Amino acid sequence: MTVLLYVFLAFLNGAVIGTSRALNGRLSSAIGPFKASLWNHVVGFVFLSVALVVLGQWEWGASVPWAAYLGGFFGALFVAVNSYVFPRLGAMQAALLVISGQMIAAVLTDWQAGGESPTGLRCLGVAVVLLGIYLSQTRGRKEDRK
Amino acid sequence: MFGRSTDWVLGIAAGALLALMIHYNSLLAEHTTPTFASWTAHGLGAVVALLLVLLTGARLSRRRRADGEEKSAPVQVPRWVYLGGIPGACTVILAAVTVNGSLSLSGTIAMMLVGQIVFGLVSDHFGLFDSPKRRIVPMDGLVALCVLAGSALIIFGGS
Repeated sequence: MTVLLYVFLAFLNGAVIGTSRALNGRLSSAIGPFKASLWNHVVGFVFLSVALVVLGQWEWGASVPWAAYLGGFFGALFVAVNSYVFPRLGAMQAALLVISGQMIAAVLTDWQAGGESPTGLRCLGVAVVLLGIYLSQTRGRKEDRK
Repeated sequence: MFGRSTDWVLGIAAGALLALMIHYNSLLAEHTTPTFASWTAHGLGAVVALLLVLLTGARLSRRRRADGEEKSAPVQVPRWVYLGGIPGACTVILAAVTVNGSLSLSGTIAMMLVGQIVFGLVSDHFGLFDSPKRRIVPMDGLVALCVLAGSALIIFGGS
């Protein structure tokens, strides 16, 4: 039973991500993607400060590699680019393209970081994702012609 | 400003940026906790976003001056659109809960992807949170199936 609860929580988390992107996308069309990214990070920072106090999880890690701090840089860029395309592509299309890019990049970064070439199953997965992108491209063209 | 195909490329590029963000944030979380890592990333991200605003703002106002345009009046938006950072931050906490629970990291990621796509479907249909409505066609289902099946192969197919 508890497994099902966690499955549902993770599913719900997908909707939470979607809500965040929808709000940022809406804000971006009003004040621009970079300002939307700034608001997202400032509000999230304040919220997490409170959460850390409540959860009591302040842990300044020892010997953290400097590269670990690059996440914030990519996060700021991600929110800006995603907020820009979200209202232009629509929620579903934006989610599908972002997931595709994320999955393919994950295979590449694992390959680069681990040194081992990706498994056959993973290569097949990349091919199926690319097929999906290709199929949605054909729909896009059809709509442009209308 | 840009054509449709540029939006596509930007969407995929956003996904790659997201993968890099998660890669480095996971590295930080290994040395601290997921919530603390996310807090740090939000703080640093705010600084980077501020720099981007200042850089692009300076360029825009220079272009406006060159074009002889007046500064446009601020657009009125409902207050709640400024709160996107809250669900964004909740995501990390919620993901930590499920990963530490009986669901593996792979299972968590897979279910989150399903949740995102279902949310997109519902959002497009009803225009949730003021987002533009978009008609759902059978091809969307096929595309979603390909992206989900391919992602499942990548997530569960070993590294």
